[in-house]
Amino acid sequence: MAAVAIHQFAQCITCHTWSPDQSMVAFCPNNHEVHIYKLFGEKWERVHVLQKHDQIVSGIDWSVRSNKIVTVSHDRNSYVWNQEASEWVPTLVILRLNRAALCVQWSPKENKFAVGSGAKTVCICYYEKENNWWVSKLIRKKHNSSVTSVAWHPNNILLATTSTDGKCRVFSTFIKGVDSRESGASSSSNLKFGEQIAQLDLSFTWAFGVRWSPSGNTLAYAGHNSMIYFIEDVGSSPSAQNVALRDLPLRDILFVSEKLVIGVGFDCNPMVFTADETGLWSFVKFLDEKKIAPSSSKYGSQFSEAFGKLYGQSKPAINSDTVESSRPRGGAHENCISCIVPLRKPGDTIVRRFSTSGLDGKVVIWELDSNI
Amino acid sequence: MATEGFVDDENLEAIVTRIEQKSRKIESLLKQSKPVEALKTALEGSPLKTRDERCKSANWIVVHRAIMAIKDVDAMFSSLDPEYYDTLMKYLYRGLATGDRPTCDQCLKIHEKLTEKAGLGCILRSLADTVNTV
Repeated sequence: MAAVAIHQFAQCITCHTWSPDQSMVAFCPNNHEVHIYKLFGEKWERVHVLQKHDQIVSGIDWSVRSNKIVTVSHDRNSYVWNQEASEWVPTLVILRLNRAALCVQWSPKENKFAVGSGAKTVCICYYEKENNWWVSKLIRKKHNSSVTSVAWHPNNILLATTSTDGKCRVFSTFIKGVDSRESGASSSSNLKFGEQIAQLDLSFTWAFGVRWSPSGNTLAYAGHNSMIYFIEDVGSSPSAQNVALRDLPLRDILFVSEKLVIGVGFDCNPMVFTADETGLWSFVKFLDEKKIAPSSSKYGSQFSEAFGKLYGQSKPAINSDTVESSRPRGGAHENCISCIVPLRKPGDTIVRRFSTSGLDGKVVIWELDSNI
Repeated sequence: MATEGFVDDENLEAIVTRIEQKSRKIESLLKQSKPVEALKTALEGSPLKTRDERCKSANWIVVHRAIMAIKDVDAMFSSLDPEYYDTLMKYLYRGLATGDRPTCDQCLKIHEKLTEKAGLGCILRSLADTVNTV
């Protein structure tokens, strides 16, 4: 298990995404532009620069089936980019925000996208054919602070958000004329637009990086207090688990499968979490093997201790500079990782490869061993 | 918020009584030279949720008494369970905030060992939590 490719694309990368066939990567080099690179033989070459935003591009997502790129920026606007011949043509989406847009994600059916913002609002945008226009519908007055992350449930209706007010919420985004009543699960399609289904008040500080498991049964998000939360059965009878980290907090997470989660953040090294047969989540190890994974003496369940023993065998004895040894030296990333994206081949049910980007300007591709 | 205040008022007396009982128990544990047991007792049932300063101060006095009685920090950690780490870290920062020389010396000594044991995550949890304060 290791990083299979490391590319230094810029000084700093705010967000990145891959083309449907994964031959191209689009990212924002911490300014108002989006750069698209393509692999020619062994070398990545810049093929497009998308210039339309005025300020830092904070979120980007490339839809798999419709091949559209959506970008959001601190300039409070969003663009949907459509490839026509060899050019990328932008369509302005007026989000009707008075603060920066912070994150964006296409819905599973790609007929909607959700934008989280600093205006304590979430925008659900959909395309109106009659007017050839993207419309933004707002979920207002539900968040008490900035919305840091949005995640679509596989049913295309439910949307989970995390906010700097410390809460994780789940909303219905049912839009008449866009979603059909049969499209979701029977219970979720009876809900009105913007109706709050759940509010999880587990973190007492900023919350980041919310994601659903592939089936939509489990929800996970990270707190800035070095905790990660796993919630099962959000709709009916939610049951939550907290896992306290030994190290620095996470910024973003990714469900590889129902039972395996990768978290990335301020430790500059992806962390692996797994659930055992009883559904108990625990920290397993750091992904980057160059770094010494601290074993034992962790909190949490006996399971995490057992895993620590299993994986921490090769490490030298911990002495008084344990804290030092967990600093990022010689790892794949040299600064905070802010973004993790799955690399899913068409037809793949589980993710075996994914990429991370962060403040060090690198995009790192990781491949999972078959043994985890 | 108003309802929370109401609940506080109602429980205030109960909390104060509990802290007084704790204080007596700690004194007797210290007399039996069981400083770690005393610290555990002090940390247990800390009034994190209430926002009443008197309760917090009263409990801090009790915890402070137990912290200052710790002589051998390594021995303390060999018998202190991880579930106490987060709360202990919060009290260490409260101790450091007093500016009192002996208190700070003791808190820094424990802080070093606690960070070694519990990692930076423990510090993050104590600093980031603005709701459950000590």
